[in-house]
Amino acid sequence: MLLKNKTILLTIFIIMNLASAAQLFGIERFPRPQFESDYQQPRMTSPDPRAATYEYIDIAALLAALSVTTFLILKKRSRRGVFVMMLLSIAYFGFWRKGCVCSVGSIQNVAYALANPDYAIPISVIVFFILPLVFSLFFGRTFCAGVCPLGAIQDVVILKPQRIPLWLNHMLRGIPFLYLGIAVLAAVTGSMFLICRFDPFIALYRMGGDWGMVSFGVALLLVGVFIARPYCRFLCPYGVLLGWLSKFSKYHASITPDECIQCKLCETSCPFEAIDVPVTEKPVESQTVARRRLAIILIVMPVFMLLGGWIGSHLNKPLSRLHPTVRLAEQVNNENAGRIYETTIYSRTFRASGETMEQLMAEVRQIEHKYKIGGWWLGMFLATAAGMALINLSRRRRQTIYETNHTHCLSCGRCFDYCPRHHALKGDLVQT
Amino acid sequence: MEQNKTSQELDRRNFIVRGGQRIAAFVLGLIGASLLPGQKQRALATSTPQTQPKRKVENPWEYDLESLKKIDPALITYEEIESIPAEQEKVTALALDDSGTLYIGGDKGVRVITDKTSKRWVQLPQAPACLAIDTNGDIFVGLKDMIVVYDKKGTKKTEFHSMGESSYLTSIAIGIDDVFVADAGNRVVWRMNKAGALLGQLGEKDERRHIPGLVIPSPYCDVALDQNGLLWVVNTGRHAFEQYKPDGTLVKRWEKTSVKIDGFSGCCNPTHMAILPDGAFVTAEKGLERIKIHETDGTFRTVVAAPSQFKEGTVGLDLAVNKQGRIFVLDPSQKTARVFEKK
Amino acid sequence: MDKPNKNQPVSRRTFFGDTLRTLSALGLGSLVGFGARKATSEELVWQLDPDKCVQCGQCATECVLDPSAVKCVHAFDVCGYCKLCGGYFKPDAKSLDTAAENQLCPTGALIRKFVEDPYYEYTIDESLCIGCAKCVKGCGAFGNGSLHLQVRHDCCVNCNECSIAKACPSNAFQRVPASKPYLYRGVQRKDFYPEK
Ligand code: SF4
Ligand code: SF4
Ligand code: SF4
Ligand code: SF4
Repeated sequence: MLLKNKTILLTIFIIMNLASAAQLFGIERFPRPQFESDYQQPRMTSPDPRAATYEYIDIAALLAALSVTTFLILKKRSRRGVFVMMLLSIAYFGFWRKGCVCSVGSIQNVAYALANPDYAIPISVIVFFILPLVFSLFFGRTFCAGVCPLGAIQDVVILKPQRIPLWLNHMLRGIPFLYLGIAVLAAVTGSMFLICRFDPFIALYRMGGDWGMVSFGVALLLVGVFIARPYCRFLCPYGVLLGWLSKFSKYHASITPDECIQCKLCETSCPFEAIDVPVTEKPVESQTVARRRLAIILIVMPVFMLLGGWIGSHLNKPLSRLHPTVRLAEQVNNENAGRIYETTIYSRTFRASGETMEQLMAEVRQIEHKYKIGGWWLGMFLATAAGMALINLSRRRRQTIYETNHTHCLSCGRCFDYCPRHHALKGDLVQT
Repeated sequence: MEQNKTSQELDRRNFIVRGGQRIAAFVLGLIGASLLPGQKQRALATSTPQTQPKRKVENPWEYDLESLKKIDPALITYEEIESIPAEQEKVTALALDDSGTLYIGGDKGVRVITDKTSKRWVQLPQAPACLAIDTNGDIFVGLKDMIVVYDKKGTKKTEFHSMGESSYLTSIAIGIDDVFVADAGNRVVWRMNKAGALLGQLGEKDERRHIPGLVIPSPYCDVALDQNGLLWVVNTGRHAFEQYKPDGTLVKRWEKTSVKIDGFSGCCNPTHMAILPDGAFVTAEKGLERIKIHETDGTFRTVVAAPSQFKEGTVGLDLAVNKQGRIFVLDPSQKTARVFEKK
Repeated sequence: MDKPNKNQPVSRRTFFGDTLRTLSALGLGSLVGFGARKATSEELVWQLDPDKCVQCGQCATECVLDPSAVKCVHAFDVCGYCKLCGGYFKPDAKSLDTAAENQLCPTGALIRKFVEDPYYEYTIDESLCIGCAKCVKGCGAFGNGSLHLQVRHDCCVNCNECSIAKACPSNAFQRVPASKPYLYRGVQRKDFYPEK
């Protein structure tokens, strides 16, 4: 298999080179004037892209940052160390590499590659996508803690974290699912890279950009002073994936280095409200009632999913507006029908191109069809996510200690310092 | 799962409230998505608009050529009477013979159109760059660097030798004994006899003979013979028309650079030219795709076709004129020969 | 490690945990496998195809950088070295000299130099060019189309999705291998060659 791939690549390479040779030598060009003076024609300069040089450095940097952060959290239990990692990440992945490509955005490249056979995905992008996930599966979200430049910039501004009402928290935590679903759909259909388009902090890292996005970024940072890491918790689509894997992680950061003495000191220490408290009281409900409810939910789930899928597929028309071709068709149609009186650059270019309205509409219908199928998946995905939330609610918890919530904990290490056992073990209890 | 100290274990009320929150978030999400606008605007418009859409220039840098293309309709004194499809993928040259038969070069051949029902195809080894028809019906085809002659029926008669690497033939004019071949690549006009022997060259810079020299920045350089057997050459880089004797003496010239209607603009215009029976010039331009008529002395006479009648970016509007003064324009975008006549 | 019931032999919970972990690992593995089949070891960068470009001017305004990473470049091989350059002069230029009011370029980035009568050389000061494509349009319409736009990779930060790409009305942007990052115009211009 590998061999075959190599041969294909080689052949493509040879053909490409032949083609360019043909361009250079095969076709005569219209000769430029013959100058009498000894005029020297300047050469065209072709500065190399930076991407090529940084590819491997970036991968190495990512691997190193993940390993060090994980080591700092799990072995050293050092919040200070994580903080330094964050600053390094802001400096390197943020300001120096200007934020592209990041793991969050790489979701779309992967989704796009799955659906578009012509798009060959660079290995560096795959690595950026997969490495943090693998780390998350084993060690929890250490990527969020010290590597992600988007997270880091928000983390350093957490000054006065406030608790937000539980109900609001629950509702807001649904947004990343929706965002993830729609972003994948947009990428798969080739509409746009939604996550990149609405990346709030990249404009800050590049120190310039579209004004709307700059203000969005600044606003998030201002909010972030009081509501810790708002993007990470209530928007980040990659966080959904990290959360899933982190939930099953084998070695996850824990508040206490050995045993929880139920001192409750750490109870409110987490700015992200990711600490689960022990179940102390007697269940108010009988086991049977709870079991029955779980059973009902499980039975209703498929119906719920189908319903979600059906609704999703019927949203295909509005959703497909994410695709520029669809927006173009609407513009041209509106112009033709006299609903709007101003042509845009897009409609003018379309008209000048000689493509017919029928061809354009055929394209639009194809896109709508893709969105119809994608809409089924989107709806089912969202319904499943909501259903899983219900199931989680109905499961009996047997928790006896104060523990990090593996889905939502970002492994930042803030709670360590609150735990007396942490200090006992370090031998610095006296100072506290 | 996201238990906090406010609630420990579930009872029914608790479940309904908190489960409701999750479901509500899901439903809100879907509603949000469906609020995105735009369902009804996708239907194909059936009626035509009452008002013509205005142009919205949302880009401060856009270079608006439209305003330059506007021509006062009163100046247009010709109208299109016919459009003859070339039935070719790509068309490059057009010619008429004395009897009015139309020749369209393109793809790898020449289509000969006597009238709607009688068409012939002459196969060539390469795509023709230019065409001319002798009085006896011989077809002179200019390939990139050489002339090939075919007889009426399409059998090859002679092949002239190549004019060299940098040669780029763009136009042929056939006189009684001479053949003049414009070579944009070498920036000269070759004079040959009908057997292909080189007799001389015209248009080279020569200060003693007061010849400024041909400036040909792009592969367009048209030539034509007038009624007196003198050769007119379009010096496109200088926006000039130059009249030569067969021996290469420059008789007279005029030059007119202007973006307005009375001259030529851009680096190399007019790209094509033909001479009307009364000696005036029909000219075709690129950039501003327009067909005009200039008097023999260069004075602007009238407009045959305005840029609005061509697709933007059309180049290679080859021209021919028949005995009645009808103007044939080759339109490479439409792949037709369009015929214009005085209104 | 952090499981409350870690001392029990194999509880249902640890069993579930292990199973799900294995499943997730499998899932990730297959994604990698799939990705690797379609992967290229070559980094991709953005470039625009000058033959598709319609000189709409969005390149100047839509790039995440200011000034844009798209600049005008000159294919000298194709240039006619015209005295009246359609890319240099405004159509209504009063005289053919370098006075600012005659220049089409809004930033004066095009530089005109006399070579010999009647030829002039045009070069671009890339530090001034904002990629507005005015000169490109002028050169394309009236000249040989030797001036054209390219993403300059010493400026471009290689966005995951180029924001001009999504704004370009003619779909001129595409991803190209980083080892061949330019799509220069010149040698392969088709419309100059009737036989092609
Ligand atoms: S490690 Fe950080 S995120 Fe996790 S529970 Fe402690 S304070 Fe919260
Ligand atoms: S956006 Fe596209 S069409 Fe417009 S100037 Fe740039 S490349 Fe050309
Ligand atoms: S006109 Fe625009 S694209 Fe051309 S050189 Fe000036 S700034 Fe650059
Ligand atoms: S990839 Fe980014 S920096 Fe480069 S041209 Fe596009 S928008 Fe500009």
